[in-house]
Amino acid sequence: MSDASISPEQLRQLCEQLGLQRAFKLYPDAVRAAAERGLRPLGDPPGSHVATAAPAAVFNPARFERDP
Amino acid sequence: MTDLVYLSVAEGAALLRTKKLSPVEWTKALLDRIAAFDPSYNAFLVVTAERALDEAKAAEAEITAGKWRGPLHGVPYAAKDIFDVTGMATTCHSKIRKDHRATADAFAIHKLTEAGAVFMGKVALHEFATGGPAFDLPWPPARNPWNRDLHPGGSSSGSGAALAAGFVPMALGTDTGGSVRNPATCCGIVGIKPTYGAVSLSGVFPLTHSLDHVGPMTRTVEDNAIAFHAIAGHDPADPTSTRQPAGNCLKYLKAGLKGLRIGVIEHFYTEDAAADPDQVRGITDAIDVLRGLGATVRPIRVSPLPLWTDCNRTIHAAESFAIHERDVRERPEDFAMLTRNRLLPGAFISASKYIKAQQLRAALCRQFAEATRELDAVVTLSSLLLPCKIDDTAAVLKTYDQQARLVFNVTGTPAVSVPTGFSRSGMPLAMQIAGRSFAEPMVYRIAQAYCEAAGTCISTDPKTQPRLLAAPSTAAAE
Repeated sequence: MSDASISPEQLRQLCEQLGLQRAFKLYPDAVRAAAERGLRPLGDPPGSHVATAAPAAVFNPARFERDP
Repeated sequence: MTDLVYLSVAEGAALLRTKKLSPVEWTKALLDRIAAFDPSYNAFLVVTAERALDEAKAAEAEITAGKWRGPLHGVPYAAKDIFDVTGMATTCHSKIRKDHRATADAFAIHKLTEAGAVFMGKVALHEFATGGPAFDLPWPPARNPWNRDLHPGGSSSGSGAALAAGFVPMALGTDTGGSVRNPATCCGIVGIKPTYGAVSLSGVFPLTHSLDHVGPMTRTVEDNAIAFHAIAGHDPADPTSTRQPAGNCLKYLKAGLKGLRIGVIEHFYTEDAAADPDQVRGITDAIDVLRGLGATVRPIRVSPLPLWTDCNRTIHAAESFAIHERDVRERPEDFAMLTRNRLLPGAFISASKYIKAQQLRAALCRQFAEATRELDAVVTLSSLLLPCKIDDTAAVLKTYDQQARLVFNVTGTPAVSVPTGFSRSGMPLAMQIAGRSFAEPMVYRIAQAYCEAAGTCISTDPKTQPRLLAAPSTAAAE
């Protein structure tokens, strides 16, 4: 979902899926603002950036090994 | 001995080592000052007076016996209430955590205890190190010693306030999007966000695992370097803790700036976002000082500030929601309004967007490394705006994205906030000095040369200190 515009019914359903019914009931305006912020697409990366060649953080199991 | 309360760590250490000052005397002077003034500034959540006096007495006995542990032996400090201290609640300034009890010390607390420092208590923060100054929590927000109606910055707000108010010479903070450097900026003190992994996060309540940093806060650059040395080092209990030893930040601290090459990221505050003219004047004058000290300063460009903000905020929202998900779902009313509003967006961030933000982070890190390859350090503004009214929520929210601190949480590289003077309204101004990974020695060297030449740090000279109010008329309203 990349479109930040969302209908009241879509928002209600989304909150139900996300378990946010209580927050939506108590703070509907804050939840709407949060949804618009969270669903907003990320800005364009620098020109040289190639997403398929630039993985996010690489998992390194050695970092979890404690000293003997 | 006229001004124990604004004694620096280095000054105090020299007096303690030569037995011209007793740690007990220093601790008592600070406890008296806290008792007299903190009701107006709310820096402390808990003052551990009895423990502090016990530790000060122990330090005195050891020093008298010739067992001086080092420059923090007998030196008082406070910790943001996000660090575990055995037997105490780590409340994170939240009612959700008020019944917590820590069963071990955080790594940084442990290191300071080993160094012989004297623990004075836990200081205020923005709830869970996010949100903002809140009036709907069990404790009031910390106030700015330069003007108690204005925001002291956050989230390490109590640490900044306690230092500027002369309550302690050293404090611990944490920094995910600028939370050490923001109060350092607003309160006119020195605060560093070290290289990611240089200081262990063990025993620190997390906000955003991949952006969180522990950083020392002090009134002088030298004190900050001393404190950083004490808390840096590998911790096998923290998977993010680096094995690379911290560089010697004191050896070349006073080596000067001749021949150094410094970049300035001007477009953050001249093109990307509107900055207060006083803040711009502060850094412009500071750059002149750097040039006068023999450094070459030239503008450099990286991606626009809003892209860095987007990257930081997306990672922050997703990771912090993962931590607080259950409470946001089940008891959202128990968070302060500002905290809740900061945590909720994370619920709506898709896995794809989070991964793209981490990819963007990698691209921005490469770009920053390339832009600084030929440089010793960079400078840019910290806050683009001046501190706003503490109870003006709209103004507080405006300051969130009008800052250039989160850039260095994205890169994970060290950045220190140093004072650059005062606004026309009498509030502290500041800039950041940032370097490549593990370049803390260079960052401190430049900060030291600048602050010494410009004379911008709070010291025992009363002209450099805020004038505190003992009994504000508005205190009763809190």
